[in-house]
Amino acid sequence: MAAADAGVTDMSKSSRKNDRSVSVTLAAATCALLGTGVPAPVDAQEEPKWDFNTSLLYYGEDGDRVQDASLKSIIRRLFADDKSLSIGFTVDALTGATPSGAIRQDTAQTFTRPSGNSAYSVPAGDLPLDDTFRDTRVALTANWQQPAGEKGLLSIGMSTSKEYDYFHLGLNANYAHAFNNRNTTLSAGIAMASDSIEPVGGAPTPLSAMLDVGDVSNRNGDQDKDVMDVVFGVSQVISRDLVMQVNYSYSYSDGYLNNPYKVLSLVDGDTGDTLPRTTPLPPDGGPSGQFLFENRPDERTQHSLYTQAKYNMDGKVLDLSYRYMTDDWEIDSHTVDVRYRWPIGSRSYLEPHVRFYTQSEAEFYRLSLDSSQELPAFASSDYRLGNFDAITAGLKYGWKTRSGNDMSLRVEWYTQSGTVPGDQLIGNQTGRDNYPDLNALIVQFSYRFSR
Amino acid sequence: MMKMRILSAVLLLAVCAGCSSMGVEPWERDVLAREDMQLITDPLEAATDDHIYFSKEASSGGRGFGGGGCGCN
Repeated sequence: MAAADAGVTDMSKSSRKNDRSVSVTLAAATCALLGTGVPAPVDAQEEPKWDFNTSLLYYGEDGDRVQDASLKSIIRRLFADDKSLSIGFTVDALTGATPSGAIRQDTAQTFTRPSGNSAYSVPAGDLPLDDTFRDTRVALTANWQQPAGEKGLLSIGMSTSKEYDYFHLGLNANYAHAFNNRNTTLSAGIAMASDSIEPVGGAPTPLSAMLDVGDVSNRNGDQDKDVMDVVFGVSQVISRDLVMQVNYSYSYSDGYLNNPYKVLSLVDGDTGDTLPRTTPLPPDGGPSGQFLFENRPDERTQHSLYTQAKYNMDGKVLDLSYRYMTDDWEIDSHTVDVRYRWPIGSRSYLEPHVRFYTQSEAEFYRLSLDSSQELPAFASSDYRLGNFDAITAGLKYGWKTRSGNDMSLRVEWYTQSGTVPGDQLIGNQTGRDNYPDLNALIVQFSYRFSR
Repeated sequence: MMKMRILSAVLLLAVCAGCSSMGVEPWERDVLAREDMQLITDPLEAATDDHIYFSKEASSGGRGFGGGGCGCN
């Protein structure tokens, strides 16, 4: 983004400087609306032509669950007349195990792998984790930005990503307009995505049973979904030390919204234990009990309200934000995020960060399916649709090198703990630890330089 | 949903109505122009966080578009 250089070339030096800072604010508001993949403004004084921003991330969950090593880069080229092109590139290498959705049992359980080619076992008492999760994700973004008139900033972009079992293609556009002596910026953005889901072995028929190894008769090939996002925002300079932003976002998803790998245990209505299979286990293996693939509605509408304030206190900066989200799956969530940037000398800073998140469960969230009752039309035991709280706590240290480049290292812990609604617990489920709590370590090193 | 729309409209109007009397003069923008006062200070970190929370929680976006482009949810 050409934000910092946004001064009009024929202006006087002082007004040009003012215009630059206005543009920084304007551009930041646009950045905020564009979400990910748009670089921050660069130092106005140096007027660099290139901006390179790169980071290495390690994300690791305990208990042999998901591990991600990720390289992200954003390269920005600045042109004349405050136009700029940003290209973003991400590679993720993912491994580890993820909860299958089945419940714990007092006996060992076996499951057919998503590919349908083999089976795996889970010891008695353990949370069923599918350990076949392994993927590489490559994502590309491109974003063009230019002034539109004297007070406007127009931005258009595209994004694409590819995983073994997923393909994403998206377009987005955003316009921001400054008013009121450039103290107020109104912006509007739209993003459309068309994604295709290409599950290993094909997408299973919703609510059909997990079949024996080699039997793929319930698989339906690839699926797709479309997502539209609309964001309206206002950012307002309140005082010399305080700037605020309020965004309203609307998101509509339409198509295949299931997780093709998640199942639910079909349980006895009295004991709450998984029903055993009804036929002898074939030589190649298969599920030890009865498990049904999940089914979610094929539409979802989300609304969210996001507000953020940045407040300067004698050089220290408080960054406070709150988001409320509600959707027609009956999930409500609240997120509070607090960062405090504390300069140490003129070249470095410490930034503690705390985030609190809480969500209620989707109306179709079920720990398991009761075989004594009629099957619901929609059901998922995905822990991410359950009722849980999450806390992130971390610390970042940033410094400027002698050559003027920026480096930072942050270490954060993320923890989720959830509860299954009491009225969903049947028989033996009552005494068990049913919710797959999560603990993760996040380490990120970032490096940024301009030329 | 309707409630949410009305709430957003009222908030937007309230914010806008208050706007004209708020703000600073162009020569008072020294602090606001600082990199650490931008709404998104570190875009790579913001993108990383959006991606992590998109994959682990049922909410996404707010700050910007709703993330996505990932089979992780």
